[in-house]
Amino acid sequence: MRAVNRSSLPVWIVTSIAAVGIVYWHASPKLAYADRDFTTGYVLLGLMVFLALYNGRKKLSMLPLGKASTWLTLHLAGGVLALVIFRLHVGSLWPIGLMHRALAALFYAVCISGVIGYGLQLWLSRRLAQAGNEIIFERIPAEIAAIRAQAEKAVLKAAEDSGNDTLGRDYLQSLAWYFAQPRFFWSCAMGGFGRRSENWLQRNLHTIGRYLSEAERAHLDELSRLGAEKRRVDVQYAMQSLLKRWTMFHVPLAAAMLTLAVWHLILVQVFAQ
Amino acid sequence: MDVATPTMMRPHRWDVPFDSDMTDADVEALMSIPAIANVRADAFPPHIPLRGILRNDARIVSYQPGDIVCREGDYGSSAFLILSGAVRVVLSPSLPRAVLGRQPVHKKGFFGALSQLWTNSRAPEVRDIARYRDIRAQSRGESGTGTHIFLQDVPGVLDHHRTISLPAGQIFGELAALGRVPRSATVFAETETHLLEIRWQGLRELRRFDPGWKRHIDENYRRNALHAVLQANPLFSGLTPEVLKEVADRVKFRTFGSFDWNVSYKEMRDSGAAGDEPIIAAEGLVQDGIYLVRAGFARASVRFGSAQRTLAYLGAGDQFGLDESYESWKTGKPVRRRNSLTGLGYVDVLRVPSDVLEEYVFPHLDVPPPPALTADRPIHDDAFAEWLGDERYFNATQAMLIDLERCVRCDDCVRACASTHGGNPRFVRKGRTFDRWMVANACMHCRDPVCMIGCPTGAIHRHEAVGVVVINDDTCIGCGTCANSCPYDNIRLVEIANPSGDAVVDADGRAIVKATKCDLCVEQLGGPACARACPHDALRRVSASVLVEQDAVTATGTKRL
Repeated sequence: MRAVNRSSLPVWIVTSIAAVGIVYWHASPKLAYADRDFTTGYVLLGLMVFLALYNGRKKLSMLPLGKASTWLTLHLAGGVLALVIFRLHVGSLWPIGLMHRALAALFYAVCISGVIGYGLQLWLSRRLAQAGNEIIFERIPAEIAAIRAQAEKAVLKAAEDSGNDTLGRDYLQSLAWYFAQPRFFWSCAMGGFGRRSENWLQRNLHTIGRYLSEAERAHLDELSRLGAEKRRVDVQYAMQSLLKRWTMFHVPLAAAMLTLAVWHLILVQVFAQ
Repeated sequence: MDVATPTMMRPHRWDVPFDSDMTDADVEALMSIPAIANVRADAFPPHIPLRGILRNDARIVSYQPGDIVCREGDYGSSAFLILSGAVRVVLSPSLPRAVLGRQPVHKKGFFGALSQLWTNSRAPEVRDIARYRDIRAQSRGESGTGTHIFLQDVPGVLDHHRTISLPAGQIFGELAALGRVPRSATVFAETETHLLEIRWQGLRELRRFDPGWKRHIDENYRRNALHAVLQANPLFSGLTPEVLKEVADRVKFRTFGSFDWNVSYKEMRDSGAAGDEPIIAAEGLVQDGIYLVRAGFARASVRFGSAQRTLAYLGAGDQFGLDESYESWKTGKPVRRRNSLTGLGYVDVLRVPSDVLEEYVFPHLDVPPPPALTADRPIHDDAFAEWLGDERYFNATQAMLIDLERCVRCDDCVRACASTHGGNPRFVRKGRTFDRWMVANACMHCRDPVCMIGCPTGAIHRHEAVGVVVINDDTCIGCGTCANSCPYDNIRLVEIANPSGDAVVDADGRAIVKATKCDLCVEQLGGPACARACPHDALRRVSASVLVEQDAVTATGTKRL
């Protein structure tokens, strides 16, 4: 696992102290309940806005707003602190009332998606490095199309060399599916770098192999090679997809949560008066 | 052709002359001065005539007494021929920065930087082509008659600094212009002086087609290079001028490899064959002095199995063989070299013979030199260093190193680059990899920027203030010489579009292209946006020395960035 970044330690120390301080402050018997709820509510909303600014930092990379890695550390530490304040603000794990429950559900969903996303980043980045065959995500469709074109060329050449269409017909029935687009997503993303994909391919190639002539078998070897190349691309696709797509849950959920939190604030202010 | 298609004249080499104030009368006057009159004009090819060079690649600049012509440390790309008057070269000590009037690098302001948020075009590679026309129509090149920085206290400089005077007819500045290195000394006008400033493209042609200029430039080049290198080396820096001259006279100057080494390197890499490395000093032979690398790169290695094992990469300023020479002097017996020194690409080497060292240097050494390099680590620990050599990455000053185990492939670095360059990323997040390290295809701002060698207009140049290699989009003619020269494929040619997003073509319908590459965000606030934008600190801009240090990190696997 990646070593701890020492430069982020001060942030975590300050966060820990702040969390303990807030818990002690909240437990003080001298405080009125209303003061506690209002204060923790405003602090929580402010913290949520600050956490949302991390996404703004990405859009403003032309400005000297500090390193994104520092912002990420603050984002993570702020998220942990938000969990503590949320628990103090709500007073329980699951509040009463539809609106409050919707807000709590969104809050938990944002937290969980964030934790899962960060975990995926730590885990998959290392797996990607081990997988090798680095490809830019946007180029993967073109890469697969190029492999598919080579595969189809090999099949046509086999028919040309042997005068048989055995391999061609089998290609259309089974292998074309494999070469059409990324396959065996979860095996490539989570398993042993697409072992299921490899097994599937070898089984299909072996099955058709017994019906081929010598002239066709040379082209079957070429298909095997291209299949392995395609699998390496699939591995990159699956892992990079997960790395890119978890934010599609995290960011919209966070936006919805923030909107609902502001609405909650308005309602509280209106009814408090 | 569609009438709506934006067109412009295809740019050519001399579209933007060095100084558009140069007239035919100026050129004819120059043709009569001895340094030019002796040049055989018929030796130049018809498309690069001598008069064309003088008209387009040179300019006449006037200086008043005390005006600074060039400053030590600046990256200049021109040489000077003294037409009349005299200049004075400040040898040592260097003039303080304040005296030299150095200006801060022009950076965008906060709002200028922010405005990129809405001014960046959605279409790729958009240019205002009307601006190109204006530049051609109004071009004065780099003004040769502008104001100059001048020294306030010339007598004070003469009193406190060692200087030499250069009279009319002398050439200076060719060392930096041809060697792609910073100016080694500050030069100011001693009297009212008129100089012919020749940009390096013109200087290269003069050297190429006229034997007299070639001899003159090379002699100057060697003499000045020698002096500068010896002065910069701690072994010789304490010597008196007389002794230094004596040493310089006895030093041997040798060049190995080709000046445009990148061509043979690319061929070698494409073919997958191992390159030949010229032997400068062979292991096992009796040590005959020390070797100082003046320019280029060399490899110190030791025999291992059936091949050579790399011990270190040497660049400008590094030396080889001091330990054995010292031991030989100390023991009075000949000592054989423990390692070999070979050239990588192009390398300029000075050999200071043992008898010179024994006479002038060793008797005054307070502490013995460090021992020669040894190969006492497992070979696997050096695999990364060997790879760096194979890929020629020791040339880097700002390589983009990505830790693939940290990188989450979010491409925030690419987006940050695009947001600071008109919506167009100036690098590609792919490149050669070793273990978990990738050196991405981003300009490395090389110590020896071979991309500059063939540029016909000087569009690709070193930024005078900060030394990074940048491309002047206004004068780039899209010939692709730089992109073809870059051994690392870090320069891209792009087809430009007008603000409406339509491709710009010439009268024949061919697309107008421009060379683009990383400029290290030289005009942006806060340094390279790519490195700042990485949320996991996976991307760093590092020099070759840091890359070599990374070797230990990779080998042990215990440390992380």
